[in-house]
Amino acid sequence: MKKTSQQLIAFLLLLTISLSAFAQVEKNSLSLSISYYNSNNQTQYLVAHAKSKIDGKFQMIPNIPVSFYIGSKTPETLIGKGVTNEKGDALVFIPASAKDEWNKAAKVSFVVASPATKTFDEGEGTLDLTKAKLQIDTLADRKIVATLLELKDSIWTPVKAVDVRIAIKRMDADLNVAETPAYATDSLGVASADFKRDSLLGDSKGNLVLIAHVDDNDLYGNLSSEKTVPWGKSYTYISQFDKRTLFARRGKSPIWLELMAYSIVVAVWGILIYLFAQIRKLKQLGAA
Amino acid sequence: MESLAKQKITEDLLPQKFGKPGKIWVGVLLGFCAIGIIAYCQQLSKGLVVTAMRDYVSWGIYISNFVFFVAISLVGSLITAVLRLSDVHWSTPLTRIAEIIAVSAITCASIIIVVDMGRPERFYNLFLHGRLQSPIVWDVIVITTYFFVSILLLYFPLLPDLAILTKYKERTGARLHKLYSFLGSFWKNTPSQIHIGERAINILSVTIIPIAFAIHTVTSWLFATTYRPGWDSTNFGAYFISGAFLVGAGGVVVAMFVFRKAYKLENYIKEEHFDKMGKVLVLLALLYLYFNVNEFLVPAFKMKKSEEEHLLGLFTGEFAMVFWFAITTAMIIPILILIFKKGRKPLPAFVAGVLVVIGSWFKRYLIVTPTLLHPFLPMQDVPENYKHYFPTWQEWVIAMGSLAGALLIITLFARIFPIIPIQETITETEQHEKD
Repeated sequence: MKKTSQQLIAFLLLLTISLSAFAQVEKNSLSLSISYYNSNNQTQYLVAHAKSKIDGKFQMIPNIPVSFYIGSKTPETLIGKGVTNEKGDALVFIPASAKDEWNKAAKVSFVVASPATKTFDEGEGTLDLTKAKLQIDTLADRKIVATLLELKDSIWTPVKAVDVRIAIKRMDADLNVAETPAYATDSLGVASADFKRDSLLGDSKGNLVLIAHVDDNDLYGNLSSEKTVPWGKSYTYISQFDKRTLFARRGKSPIWLELMAYSIVVAVWGILIYLFAQIRKLKQLGAA
Repeated sequence: MESLAKQKITEDLLPQKFGKPGKIWVGVLLGFCAIGIIAYCQQLSKGLVVTAMRDYVSWGIYISNFVFFVAISLVGSLITAVLRLSDVHWSTPLTRIAEIIAVSAITCASIIIVVDMGRPERFYNLFLHGRLQSPIVWDVIVITTYFFVSILLLYFPLLPDLAILTKYKERTGARLHKLYSFLGSFWKNTPSQIHIGERAINILSVTIIPIAFAIHTVTSWLFATTYRPGWDSTNFGAYFISGAFLVGAGGVVVAMFVFRKAYKLENYIKEEHFDKMGKVLVLLALLYLYFNVNEFLVPAFKMKKSEEEHLLGLFTGEFAMVFWFAITTAMIIPILILIFKKGRKPLPAFVAGVLVVIGSWFKRYLIVTPTLLHPFLPMQDVPENYKHYFPTWQEWVIAMGSLAGALLIITLFARIFPIIPIQETITETEQHEKD
């Protein structure tokens, strides 16, 4: 009897250990983080990143529902909700309703949280941000200056020794204005660069968009600022759609192709018609 | 040849009625054609879904057949034009065989391309609304032109023979006599007619060579102007033309043997002809082998990632058996047979010719299908049958029907017209006797 009880206890113990081990394998811990973006001092948004260590590697986790909060994690401070995409990111724009909380102090915190799912534990991430703004302007001789200021005791104060990327905004990426992509701010918070891209195609009026970036800064997040300048070469797009090209529609083939093709066809069929005429001549000779 | 009298040559070379084997042969061919037509009717009513062609393999054995027919049709220009212009006289008995192969092949090439169309009733739009920039339109123009040039090249040398045939009404029968009279009764063999006829043949011989090169180069461009593994080649025009001459010459050797046996033409198609055609075949097989080495060795040496799957599929993968079969039967074995004098006797030369023709058909299949199964972008989210291609019975039957149709045209032509030029043989014999 005693032996049977011992066996039963051992079995239950083993089962508990197995189940807990199984549960551990099933559920992964989730790591959440937030990035802050301020685009051209106008649009502010937050991006949550969800990742988890699976098979020894960090992987981006999609389909995680996340909630964003400003200040602290309370229902009153909720500013938006989202679901992570295939890159593990979820984006939310900071709404006007968060204005009061935002204006409370020079520093602001954001919290992102996700509930536990079938495969992941609940997760939470925070971001402590110092309010800052980036400005871009131009001087004579095509000099570009970008100024970084942070809010200190209600006063915008220059920030020293922060890398600012100064570039020209193109369709799919930014193009450096000179050989160096980034410039450090001085004691006045100014980073300056010389524009060295002559004859760069702009819009129809030759306008280019200059852009300054502060990327992934621990204190200020991601900031950017833009300015349009007439430093480019004017470019007007001319559509090739209805021109005579090899890829054009019927009736719009290149003249050289038409000349070649039709002259070959006319020459060869001219010979054939001549030969058919010879058959007629042979008939006439035979009838004579 | 010297001892053969003019009368004997004429009587030997007059078209002969089918014997029992001939009737069976025609019956079999008609049977294949009929089954092919039935399958095509089914395809017409249900659409191309009855074939195994899907989104990826949209060109299956119909287009392989088309390329094969276009290739074999080039032999007309090789035997008739190139050898005539080179003042080679031994090929005289073979010219008509070559020309009728060319005409039948180009006819069936035109038919099979219509068969490949999902909506054949809209075919006329190619002529009305074709884009001149498209190689498909060039192909339509050049095939039509080549067809008429081949017909004329068949017709002009036939005129003196038609005049001879009209004199044998009792032997040929009333209906055929009517046909001969309609086609050539005006030929009186006068010096001015002979002059016009010879000039016309010379003009055609010069004209047909660039057209023949154009027809197969344009066919190769249908592939080479498309950016795909296996087709993205600057070698394709020359590669196709060399292959075309090879299969055409192989077809002529096969036809020579069959007509020689069936019509007892040993005095006209001699062992000498097999010997010389055998040498021509070796040269063409070596040339085609050279282009094949270029076509496969260079990309295999680089083994670009995007082409790797296609090339390995051919060398060691799912198409390896067909690939090595085609290379071996179309080139290597025929070279090994025909390089020896004994191999250029009629029977071994015939075997080599058959191997060339069969191997060449599979070679065309390999040019078309494996490439379509290996697009640059991976095949994703498609039904499993899109990823493989094996023709349905309808495709096989229609393809066989078109091959039977080509053979039927050649057979019926040989029944109606002399398969060896009578007048030219007489003239050459007389010339030979004079010399």
